[in-house]
Amino acid sequence: MRFLAALFICTALAAPAARAQRPLTPHDSALHALNRLAYGPRPGDVDRVAALGVMSWIDAQLHPDRIPDPEVERRESAFPILDEDPASLARAIATVRQQRIAARRDGSDSGMPPAWRQRVPVDSQAARRVRQTMGQLQQLAVMRAVRSQRQLQEVMVDFWTNHFNVFFGKGADRAFTPSYIERTIRPHALGRFQDLLLATAKSPAMLFYLDNWQSVAPGAEPPALARMARIDDARREQMLARMPQGLNENYARELMELHTLGVDGGYTQQDVIAVARILTGWSIERPQQDGGCRFNDWAHDDGEKTVRGVRFPAGHGMDEGVRLLKLLAQDPATMHHVSRQLCARFVSDVPPDGCVDAAVGAWSRSDGDIAAVLRAIFQSPEFWSDQAVRAKVKTPLEFMVSAVRATGGDPDTTPRLAQVIGRLGEPLYAQPSPAGYPESQEDWVNSGALLLRMNMAVALAAGRLPGVTIGFDSLVPATGDANALIETVDVRLLGGILTTHSDDVLRREVGDVRDPVAARALVVGLALGGPEFQRQ
Amino acid sequence: MGGVMAISRRVFVKSGGLALFSLGLDPLFLARAAFLPYRPLPSPTAPDQPVFVCLFMRGAVDGLNVIVPHGDPFYYRERPRIAVPAADVVDLDGHFGLHPALAALKPLWDNKSLAAVHAVGSPDSTRSHFDAQDYMETGTPGAKATPDGWLNRYCQHDAEHANTPFRAVAFGPELPRILAGSAPSLAIDDLQAFGLRVPQPGARDKLTRAFEALYQGAETGLLAASGRESFEAVQRLQQANPLQYQPDHGAEYPRGRIGHALLQIAQLIKSDVGLRVAFLDATGWDTHVNQGSSEGQLAARLQELGGSLAAFATDLGERMRSVVVLTMSEFGRTVRENGNSGTDHGHATAMLALGGPVRGGRVLGKWPTLDPAARFEGRDLAVTTDFRDLFGEILARHLGATDLHPVFPGYAVRPEQYPGVIRT
Repeated sequence: MRFLAALFICTALAAPAARAQRPLTPHDSALHALNRLAYGPRPGDVDRVAALGVMSWIDAQLHPDRIPDPEVERRESAFPILDEDPASLARAIATVRQQRIAARRDGSDSGMPPAWRQRVPVDSQAARRVRQTMGQLQQLAVMRAVRSQRQLQEVMVDFWTNHFNVFFGKGADRAFTPSYIERTIRPHALGRFQDLLLATAKSPAMLFYLDNWQSVAPGAEPPALARMARIDDARREQMLARMPQGLNENYARELMELHTLGVDGGYTQQDVIAVARILTGWSIERPQQDGGCRFNDWAHDDGEKTVRGVRFPAGHGMDEGVRLLKLLAQDPATMHHVSRQLCARFVSDVPPDGCVDAAVGAWSRSDGDIAAVLRAIFQSPEFWSDQAVRAKVKTPLEFMVSAVRATGGDPDTTPRLAQVIGRLGEPLYAQPSPAGYPESQEDWVNSGALLLRMNMAVALAAGRLPGVTIGFDSLVPATGDANALIETVDVRLLGGILTTHSDDVLRREVGDVRDPVAARALVVGLALGGPEFQRQ
Repeated sequence: MGGVMAISRRVFVKSGGLALFSLGLDPLFLARAAFLPYRPLPSPTAPDQPVFVCLFMRGAVDGLNVIVPHGDPFYYRERPRIAVPAADVVDLDGHFGLHPALAALKPLWDNKSLAAVHAVGSPDSTRSHFDAQDYMETGTPGAKATPDGWLNRYCQHDAEHANTPFRAVAFGPELPRILAGSAPSLAIDDLQAFGLRVPQPGARDKLTRAFEALYQGAETGLLAASGRESFEAVQRLQQANPLQYQPDHGAEYPRGRIGHALLQIAQLIKSDVGLRVAFLDATGWDTHVNQGSSEGQLAARLQELGGSLAAFATDLGERMRSVVVLTMSEFGRTVRENGNSGTDHGHATAMLALGGPVRGGRVLGKWPTLDPAARFEGRDLAVTTDFRDLFGEILARHLGATDLHPVFPGYAVRPEQYPGVIRT
């Protein structure tokens, strides 16, 4: 309560005199915090957070390592993907590729009708393992989002997964993405931005996705090839033709445009080229052997470079890149760009300057400590303002996970719930664009998407959504009393969000449903698929 | 456009009865064939509004075995095992010919409603499927961070046509990159399943009414507007009655995903629900191994493609006068066959344009020849038509787009660079 009192004072001070801010009740502020720092409340969560004090709860969420999470740890054992290493996964993928080529060859010799030849099913242990990778990885994220006590940690993992997006479907990233999420993103989700940036820059998943692994100084060739010059000229020519030639600017450009400075962050095409030259040689080990980051001296551009007026003297190899990344991590443009994106996620699609400034201030004081930046956002008056509360539309992931949480639901370990989220438009790790999934409502709200959400809500409420067990039987007793039913659903499952209009519609629709169990499913389905629950 | 009309009578009216389609008929759904709309709808959009259908052949189709340059001496020299023998080629103009599996399209060529554009592609040299598809769908080759697709950007800036829920529809489980963006677009897997899905028809109507009421009264803004659109779309589609659909003029769509998607597109066009751009994709063109020649892997895919396109034209009949179908693919394949009797990733490919507005009966685009000296990087068919000029021409001359700058940012689409695929 002490925190809340302080909060009221600061919101009152910050609000313009003309527009008095109605202070949020402990219940409302708990619901707001659960909607933004978590994937919505599970039954009972709002009361618990309100009783604890919302700022105390937020404080705890900022230190996920101190929150016990035995439920999730237990469930994680059902995800073998957590024990896979990229090299063995890459070997399995290579095996399947060989099997497919062999099967296709056999198929064409066997006199089967041509139409059967195009799709060659390969059914082997390796094929099953590869097929299951994506589903397991997606479902693991969904399971954690639904069940974890460390909700803010899961929200931030999703945020950074989008910020530093890679695409599972691009070649070797089928093998690299699982460890990218587990070992590159997750450990740094609430750590220092600079560490996270460096980790992504060195990750094989990013090096492959944005092509830096094949960016080489123009004219450079590997020592092995140079040695061959004396032996076999024709073969050397052949190998050279298959070699990456010259600079690839992809990573250099996205590093500045998306990961750090932002598109208006003040850099030129000359800077992009200089950054690409600095990062030449940042490559990967062969995926099937190790798949780690490796620096190729031979591929590195040894000349002097200048990026945005900063001189990088010649001859410092990989250290040049490390120095560059550290500079980018603490550049004011980066602080502003990333803070703004955090505020777009937590406050509103077009975030007010106040919370962005607060985040930037905390960033520079804490040397980019993400937890400190988040704390500043959550303490800013803008986060608690009328304009922010319930102002954001849920993304498909947020919608589906919050609906399962609201119904006290429990996803199983099959990829089915993750596939539903994919169907709603946000298949995890399957966004080809390096910009990741968008944050604003215009990108998610349209007629087809809404119909799908309604369908999923109705199926979930009726216990028909595959891969999920719902758990509100004891919370919302089936009853013939429509008024009592609607109120219980609203209070116990939704945190009291229904408008009087929706209340009226529900009462009218449920009035003639005789079966109390069907009536309950109808009310829950309409409420979850209705407009109020699309917001957070 | 009497041509297309004539063809539908002369060539495609077959003696066999109407084909019966296995649409997974649901008896409950049939029982409610007498569905009555629960509110009046505004009058349907005017017929004969232009429609653009994009068919993406994912996997990089071997354009040289689709529109075969049988008159180019290097063709047979470079492809001893997979070239289509001259005797099998369906000759078009003495130099080019159709793959025999596309013979069903020949009447449309003769009728001047089918054209091919050869040596078309991307100015970017990537041979990665992923990157090249991305560039072809964003319309910004070389720029990876473009958030939206060019078809969506066209819709964002399309002031010429009414914005209906069915303006832009992709057939498939997910919205493709080409339609990603802020303009509303639908991804429809199956028209029959569009709308609220509950087992009992009575419950469905009740649920539809209830959700409509919830979204109508609750608030204003994007959610409310989209909610309204959703229910208008549902109702328009219910009136079109997907289960009752029978193709016209005896058209028989081959079994398979291409035919099924084109059938549904034909249905939407005839329903006058305001369809402007439709998208479908077809896979199975990445023929590295045992590609085949007149018969084989590629032939089987082309058979399905050609049969489906021909059925679509037959089914639509006169309506084809306002429809343009364009096939596209991320790049072409190597001129020379590889050691596995297949072809590897190349550069330029061939695209087909079909429909009444098409200046058909010719292979368009400058032919760079297969002479090794004229090849891209010494091995692949060179690009002589930037795909943006082809796409841009269709947007401008068929759909009537007046400003292509926002659709293809950073590129000046100029009429003098158009391949000339649309009649003027």
